[in-house]
Amino acid sequence: MRDVGTDIIWSVSDFVASLNQTLDYAYPSVTIQGELANFRISKNRWVYFDLKDETSSVKCFGTVYQLTGPLEDGMLLKVRGVPRLHQQFGFSLNIMSLQPAGEGSIKKAAALLEAKLKAEGLFAPERKRLLPQIPQRIGLIASGESAAYHDFIKIVNARWGGLNIELADVQVQGEAAVPQIEAALNYFNSQAESVDVIVVTRGGGGAEDLAAFSTEQVTRAVAGSRIPTLVAIGHEVDISLAELAADQRASTPSNAAELLVPDKKQELARLKSYPSDMLRALTGSVSVVRQQLERHIQDLEQSIIRKLQHEQQHIENITGLLAALSPTAALARGYAILRSDVGGPLTSATQLKKDQAITLELRDGSAEATIKRVIL
Amino acid sequence: MTKPIDYAALKVELDDILQRLQAEDTDIDASLKLYERGIAITKQLETYLRQAENTVSRIKATTEK
Repeated sequence: MRDVGTDIIWSVSDFVASLNQTLDYAYPSVTIQGELANFRISKNRWVYFDLKDETSSVKCFGTVYQLTGPLEDGMLLKVRGVPRLHQQFGFSLNIMSLQPAGEGSIKKAAALLEAKLKAEGLFAPERKRLLPQIPQRIGLIASGESAAYHDFIKIVNARWGGLNIELADVQVQGEAAVPQIEAALNYFNSQAESVDVIVVTRGGGGAEDLAAFSTEQVTRAVAGSRIPTLVAIGHEVDISLAELAADQRASTPSNAAELLVPDKKQELARLKSYPSDMLRALTGSVSVVRQQLERHIQDLEQSIIRKLQHEQQHIENITGLLAALSPTAALARGYAILRSDVGGPLTSATQLKKDQAITLELRDGSAEATIKRVIL
Repeated sequence: MTKPIDYAALKVELDDILQRLQAEDTDIDASLKLYERGIAITKQLETYLRQAENTVSRIKATTEK
């Protein structure tokens, strides 16, 4: 600096540095809302646009990674950034973050992004996966202090038990929401033992409150999750893009809980019928076996009866034979039994002697006799 | 805290038992054993539903709120 009278004469670089110091002191960061104009992207990395209103315009500079989705001139934008006088390129607001502002622009941005992602196939029905019937481990992305979170937990607790719920407590609106929700989704997707399902939920709100769930970052993170996702953003009319990208969506946090887990009251009622169904099936089998046994018994009885009849016949035959062969029968035919005086039957003429006393036994009586003559 | 059980797997086993009991060709001794196992599973599932509670834990990995 050269002193000329009372004027301080700066070098250009010194002036630029000093001005930037002053800006840094006065405006460490500033949030400006205005209309987007002259939006362009250079080399797929650098973003340039003007933020203007009726009378003024400010140049803005940032990177594509700060974009929450496609933008169009005319949209209302809220930009947080740092004002700087660049050494070469003049003044610009260096962007820290940006988001569409006002319901019109937010919806417009969502529509543009929806078209872009739909063309990529992110919302295709074939991509949707079924949620597990009983998700033992649940990854929950929600605001821990919100009514949405408490409603969800209350309904899950009422419906089922024994589940592990891991909560990623995040902002669900405002500037920090997008990176936090994205980080939570990445966290659950990178665990060695992963959860069975990821639930992202928040209650209703205005367009600006729900904007995070229609940004490119969050929507892609949901679409890219290898763990099935259930997204429930309480809303009046429009569906957020994260819901379109999810495997399942629900209209409210409570509805999400109902879709996610079964109802133990219904399940207990179902279980009640099993013992009687099983018993009926069991006794059914028993009666089948009993019928089979009875048939066997009948067959056995039949064969025993037949055998007995056969034997009976046989006995009758023998009895008949015996009867025919008995001495009584012979006597009845006119034969006589000769007995000696000692009593035994005489069976041969050689046993006879003249004048021997014998007894004659006939059918109906006996006689004493003497042998007159033996003829051999 | 109730021991964790694989509810879905046990339910599948229970349905399988009922099906096998209802089949025409099951051996009586095997059926009795199946019936006992089915009753045991039913009791286990009912107890679990009545007693098991959910646990909620907070992860630490998200960026600062």
